Amino acid sequence: MASDLAPPPKTSKNPLGLLMIAAPVVLMGLFLLYPALRVVLRTFGAADGSPGFSLENYARFFNDSYSLNNLGITLWTTVVTLILLIVVNLPIALYLRFRKGRLATFIQALALFPMFVPGVIICYALIRYIGPNGLLQSLLEHVGITGYQTPIMTPWGPVIGLLWDAMPFTLLVLTAGLAGISNAAIEAAQDVGASRLRILWSIVLPQIRGSLVVCTSLNFLSLFGSVLQPYMLGPTSPELMGPFMLRTFSSVRDPLQAGTQATITFLICSVAGLLYILSMGNRRKAEKETVA
Amino acid sequence: MNVSDLSRRNFLKTSSALGLGGLMAGTFVLRANAAPGVIDVIINSDTNILDFWTQVIKPGFEAANAGVTLNLVSSGGGAATDLLAERAFAALQTKTDPQVDFLEAYGPYHPADAISAGLWTDFPKAGLANYANINPVTVRNEWSLPYRGSQVVMFYNGDKIPNPPKSFPELIEWIKANPGEFAYARPDKGDSGACFIERALQEVTGKNPDLFKGDNYSESYAKPFYDKLWPLLKDIAPSLYKGGEYTAGNTPSIQLLASGAISMTIAWSDMALTAINEGVVPESTRLAQLGDLAFTGGFSTIVIPKSAANYALAVKLADFIISPEIQNKIVTGLGGFPSLKWDAMDPALAAKYAAAAPTSIPEFPGTWEPSLFDGWYREVAANLARD
Repeated sequence: MASDLAPPPKTSKNPLGLLMIAAPVVLMGLFLLYPALRVVLRTFGAADGSPGFSLENYARFFNDSYSLNNLGITLWTTVVTLILLIVVNLPIALYLRFRKGRLATFIQALALFPMFVPGVIICYALIRYIGPNGLLQSLLEHVGITGYQTPIMTPWGPVIGLLWDAMPFTLLVLTAGLAGISNAAIEAAQDVGASRLRILWSIVLPQIRGSLVVCTSLNFLSLFGSVLQPYMLGPTSPELMGPFMLRTFSSVRDPLQAGTQATITFLICSVAGLLYILSMGNRRKAEKETVA
Repeated sequence: MNVSDLSRRNFLKTSSALGLGGLMAGTFVLRANAAPGVIDVIINSDTNILDFWTQVIKPGFEAANAGVTLNLVSSGGGAATDLLAERAFAALQTKTDPQVDFLEAYGPYHPADAISAGLWTDFPKAGLANYANINPVTVRNEWSLPYRGSQVVMFYNGDKIPNPPKSFPELIEWIKANPGEFAYARPDKGDSGACFIERALQEVTGKNPDLFKGDNYSESYAKPFYDKLWPLLKDIAPSLYKGGEYTAGNTPSIQLLASGAISMTIAWSDMALTAINEGVVPESTRLAQLGDLAFTGGFSTIVIPKSAANYALAVKLADFIISPEIQNKIVTGLGGFPSLKWDAMDPALAAKYAAAAPTSIPEFPGTWEPSLFDGWYREVAANLARD
């Protein structure tokens, strides 16, 4: 997060700077914003494509219990995964902050490992390991534990796959946040007899609130729109919005309804995006005040 | 590291979360103008077929026609190819370049008025040297040219099932008698599952495949048929793997069988044979076809817009893919069925395969599939009794 700590750039009219951002901006406008805008505008038209403003497509989505179920399971998967990400990664990040040495380095490397493994490989590995008649089941049966039910093809399958995938990013953000906490404050608290829990609650957590908001809001975006893990590890139905949109577009061949689902997904995700931007803004303001 | 991870996520987010990946592929797949001597071939099939085109058809055709290049483009199937056909149709009406010369694994029924407007090439009249050798049972209409066939089979553990079901009612009976031992794929994922529910649809409507044609789908015509299908599929759901779970495609079905989690699934014959040859599944794994009415499968056809900028070359390419040279390789290289008559094929191959190959493969029209598959998700898959 080094870039966030850098001082805000001075406003300048240097043409070279504008030239440097021109290519990506034009590419984004041409290949992303323009087609996306066209799709969004079309979803606010009639279902048969005739001109004029109409909320018909949205009425269809929100009156369809199947679509609403899919939206529900997407929210469930996102929230459960987000909670588990913090529950799993915060203790690791705390450990890495306060312990140094070979073991800590090893644990950090282990936790960052998923970053270097493509998602599709992780999915196949999980299927082979925790899937039906997989390695885990065989091992359990070897020690006499039978009746193992695989989480693959249940709503927990995508949660496990997404947890694996999002872990390195979450850990990096949390360790970066924890690195900013001064030892002095913690030692001072220890001197007056504060318990470890008290230190965590009153000193550590308030100082990494920004990091928590950043990793929660950014993870929300990628989890909510995920396609691969729900498709490979999840149940047939209900579907997460990612595979649902894809199926509506390519198999049901209903680009308009797929666009409507995409716009709804986008609006929900933009709440998380807004949260992220607000927290960035607050941080900038706080930094300015400290400097002043 | 942090930054690159973020940008990777951003890319994934924008391309998948907004569902625009497919749209953009459909919109930007082609160059602005057709180039002379470059045939734009849109491949609608799975990656193994794209490999076959890349490794066999493309080098063969380019070697025989100096200065000609095949531009193979995978459309990703489904709606993306529909958009290309719609664009070709619109271009016909404005008398402009359709920017596509050749559509693989596509039929002539989309857009609805394309045939009457004269968009597609009439193959019997297109002057193909090899057309006389086409096996008539593979031909569905004059605007599409069949070039490879495949069929769906029961793929099962021969140790556990010495006598596989011989008819569809026997299969249903077996599924119910062996709860948790059978799985089929989601119909929109790889089509082996689609062929199972399509065969079930034919079963509940009196085993009359002629009821389902490429140009006769309408919501009101289909509804009474579908209303008979859903109860059957819902009835067997509790007896399926995990009490009604469906695999994510052709390969996951075979993996589930290979792991021993189930004893029978539905698979494409070519993929099943490859799985046996590569040792992916135990040696005791067997294939069987239904004796009463075979599982649907079919011949993949190609279509060519008459207004294509490289029309003459596209027709030449069509003639090439139904030549004995390529048709023999469809048998040996793809494990598929040829669309030529067996007496036009390599005599050694004909002697080996002609008896085993079906005289006809029942087909199910693609125009019915969007409503059938979506209905399946809503009526069958959404009604899981989870514990």
